[in-house]
Amino acid sequence: MTTPPVLSRRAFVVAAGLTALAGCSSRNSAGDPNTLRILVNKHPLTKPISTMEWPKQLEKIAGVKIQWQEISADWDQKKSTMLAAGDVPDLIVGTNAITNADLGTYRTLFENLADDLDALPNVKALFAAKPELKSMATLTTGEVYAVPGYKRFWPTTVTHQYINKQWLDRLGLKVPTTWDELYTVLVAFKEEDANGNGDKNDEIPMDWSPVGTGGFGYFQPSVLLGSVGLPIAGGGGQGYFLEDGKVGNFLVDERYKRVIQFLHRCYAAGLISKNVMTQDYSAYQAVGRGSGKVAKVGFSWGWTASDRFGAELADQYVAMAPLLAEAGQTTPVTWTYDSYSENFPSNQILMSARTSNKQAALKVVNAFYDKEMSLQVLWGDLGRYVKKVSDKEYEVLPPADAKVDPSTWKWTVTIADAGPVWIRDDIEVKLPADLDEAVEQTEPLKKALANMDVNKDVYPFQFIQMKPDDTNQLGLNDTTMLNTAMTKFAEWITKGGVEDQWGQYVQQVQNAGLQKNIDTYQRYYDEYAKTR
Amino acid sequence: MAESLVAARKPARKPVTGARRPGAGRHVRRYWQLWLMVLPAVGFVAVFMYVPMYGIQLAFREFDFAAGLTGGDWAGLKYFRQFFDSPLFWPLLKNTFVIAFTTLVVGFVAPILLALMINQIAGGRRKRVMQTATYLPHFISIVVVVGMLQAFLNPSTGLLTRALAPFGLDGVNFLGDTAAFVPVYVISDVWQHCGWNSIIYLAALSRVDPQLYEAAKVDGANRLQLIRHVDVPSIVPTMVILLILTMGGVLNTGFEKVWLMQNNLNLPVSEVIATYVYKIGIFSTQFSYATAIGLFNTVINFAFLIAANAIARRVSNWSLW
Repeated sequence: MTTPPVLSRRAFVVAAGLTALAGCSSRNSAGDPNTLRILVNKHPLTKPISTMEWPKQLEKIAGVKIQWQEISADWDQKKSTMLAAGDVPDLIVGTNAITNADLGTYRTLFENLADDLDALPNVKALFAAKPELKSMATLTTGEVYAVPGYKRFWPTTVTHQYINKQWLDRLGLKVPTTWDELYTVLVAFKEEDANGNGDKNDEIPMDWSPVGTGGFGYFQPSVLLGSVGLPIAGGGGQGYFLEDGKVGNFLVDERYKRVIQFLHRCYAAGLISKNVMTQDYSAYQAVGRGSGKVAKVGFSWGWTASDRFGAELADQYVAMAPLLAEAGQTTPVTWTYDSYSENFPSNQILMSARTSNKQAALKVVNAFYDKEMSLQVLWGDLGRYVKKVSDKEYEVLPPADAKVDPSTWKWTVTIADAGPVWIRDDIEVKLPADLDEAVEQTEPLKKALANMDVNKDVYPFQFIQMKPDDTNQLGLNDTTMLNTAMTKFAEWITKGGVEDQWGQYVQQVQNAGLQKNIDTYQRYYDEYAKTR
Repeated sequence: MAESLVAARKPARKPVTGARRPGAGRHVRRYWQLWLMVLPAVGFVAVFMYVPMYGIQLAFREFDFAAGLTGGDWAGLKYFRQFFDSPLFWPLLKNTFVIAFTTLVVGFVAPILLALMINQIAGGRRKRVMQTATYLPHFISIVVVVGMLQAFLNPSTGLLTRALAPFGLDGVNFLGDTAAFVPVYVISDVWQHCGWNSIIYLAALSRVDPQLYEAAKVDGANRLQLIRHVDVPSIVPTMVILLILTMGGVLNTGFEKVWLMQNNLNLPVSEVIATYVYKIGIFSTQFSYATAIGLFNTVINFAFLIAANAIARRVSNWSLW
C-alpha cells in the first residue's frame, strides 16, 4: 500500500484558513500614495478587472495606479475578519458589500464624506437630483459613509409570475385568475400529458426558488400574500411589512396562514415539485429549462421568461397578473415592491478613513458617478458593449456570443449591478433584451403594484440607518424566530397541520421577541416618515 | 469556521516524558534529538492555540471595535445568560449531542471492524485493492459529498431513493425528513472516513507477532477466536488513545457538512451549536455572544476529555495522562 502524504483534514482547514487570513491582511493601506487599493465584491461570473477598459480610464482620471482586489466568494466571512482586524483598502466597491449593520459597528474605519462633497461634484449633483438618496446615505447624526446609486430602468418588481400558455392551449384551458382556478389548471397539468411528449408523469405543475433558513426572497411563494392584499417588499425577507404606516410581520398574520393552507392543498394533491424544499438553486433552474423543446414546469416565478425557462422555452410562457384569493373579493391585490433595492442600490462605495491618497480616492469615487462611466460600469465598455449614438443617446449592444443571454453577458463583461452608478434621467438608452423583457413582463402586475402606496405600504429598509444595539437585538430575535418559522413553513406545506398548530406557533414566535422587533422597526419608520 | 472565533481549543498532546527526576540535564543531553523533533509541534501549538487564548475574554466583554479586542466594557456572564435563556438553547444542545454521539459511536466502531476484516483477507493484492477502495472517499471534498447526497437521495429522481423503494422505504424524503437526517449524516460520514481511520488500526495489527497466531492455531483456535483473543487485545491501546482524543472534540460536529445539508425541513434536528454560532457571529456580527457560546462548547468538550481519560485509566490501564 502506498500512503499519501498525511495531512489531517483539520490541519488542512487550519492551514487553508491561515493562508486566507494572510491573503487579506497585506497591510499597505497607509503605504504607497501612488497606488490605490480598491476591493471589489463582484459576481462569480465576472471576468478579471484587467480585461475591462473603464478601470484604466479611472487610473487616468485619478492619476495613480489602481490595485484591484477582486473577491467573489465567501465575502461574508472575509468581511468579518477584515473589518475586525481594522484593515480596510482605500476603497470598497460593491452594492451593500458593507451593510448598514456593519457601519453600526465599524463606522470609525471609514471616511465621512459629508464634508468632502465639494470634491465630489457628481455625487453632489446626484443628491440634488434624487433627494431620497441623500436621506438614504445620511445618518441621523449627519455623516455620509457610503454612497448609494441610481439605476433608473429596473422594473418595480423583480419577481414575475409565469404560466405555460402552450400547455393551457393544448388542454383547452384559460389563464387562471383565482387560487381555485389555478388549482384546477395545475391538476390538469399533472394528470394530462400537458407537454405532449407522451409521458403523463414528467410534468411539474408548480415550482419555486429554494427558500433558505434565513427568510424569504425573490421568486418564492411569498408573493401569494399579494392575493390576500398583504403588501411585501424585496420578496418578503424576515417577514416584516408595512401597511398603512403600521409595521407588522406576516409570519404571524392570519393571511399568511391562508397562503400556507392553499399551498398545502396543492402539495397534498401532488401539484408542487417534490424537491421544492430540498433542491438547490441550480437544480431548480435546470428543471425549469426542461429538455430541448419539452417544458417541465407549468407555473412558476422568475426574473424574466428567458432567464427562468431558457431561451428555447421562453415563448411557451406568458406573464400573469396576481391571482385573487377568491373570485369577487373586495380586498385589492398587491405584489412585492422591489424598486427601492433595485433602482436605489445602497452602499455602493466607501472610502477608508486612513487612505494613503485621499485626493485620488475622491477622484475615483466621483468618476464612478460620471454619466458615461456609469453606463460602462453597468453594461460594459463604450464602443465594445455599449454604443454611443450621440451625447444623449446610447445603445446597449446584444451579446457578441449568441448563446449567452444578455443578463449573463452583462455580469461577465463588467461588474454590472455591483458597481457604483448614476444612470441619468435625461438620456435615452436602448436597453438590453432582458431588461426590456422584465419591464414588459411587469405589465400584468402594474395594477397590483399601484394598489400599494409607496410611502405607507413599503417599508423603507434601504433608507434607514439603525444603531448597533438595535441591529443586534433584531438579528438575535430574528435568528430565533426564523428557526421556528421557516421550519413550520416547510412542514405545514409538505405535511399540513397549520390549523392545529397555529395558536401555539404564534405564541412561540412572539416568545422569540417579535413584538420588540416590530416596535423597533416602527420607531425607526416613524422617525423616517417625519423627515419626509 | 465558527470555531476560529474561539481561541480556545482542546489542549494538544504533550510529549510524554518521565516526571522530572534529578538529572534532567543528563536527560536532555541524551535525548536532545527527540526534543528537537518535537519542537516545531510545540511551537505551533503555543503560537496558534495558546497565544490566541487571550481572546477568550471577549466572551465576558462587550465587543467594541474601536477599543480593540480586549478593550470593551466588562459584561460578566451576560452573554452566557443570554445563551442559556434563549429558547434555542435546549434544542441546540440536544441536536449537537445526538449528532455528535451517533457519529462518535458508529464512527469509532466501524473502522475497527473494517481493519479486522481487511486484516483477515488473504492475498496481498486483494488486501491492497480493498484498502485503497475504502479510504479513497476520504479525499472527496465535503461540498462534493453533500452534492452527491443531494443527487442520490433526490426524492423523485435519486438513485438510492429508487433503489430503496421496493423495500418499503417509498416516499421518504431523505433530504428533508427529520428522522432521516442523522442516519444520512452518520452513514455518509462513516462511508467517507471509515477506510482512512482504519489505517492506524491496520498498522497496529501488522505489528502482531506471527508466532502468536501460530500458537493460537496450534491450540485449536478458529478464525473468530483468533480475532477475539489475538487481534483485539493488540489494538486496545490504540483504540483507547483515539477514543480519548475524539472525545475531546465530541461537540465539534462537522460544521461544513451540517451547514450544507441544512434546509427548512430538517432544521429542527440540524441546527447545531456550530451553525448557530455561524449565523449569530458571522451574519449578525455579534462576536461577544458567539465567543461565549464557543467557549461554553469548549468547556463541555474539555469535561468530556477529562472524563474519558479517567474512565480509560480505570478500565484499561491505558490513558493519556
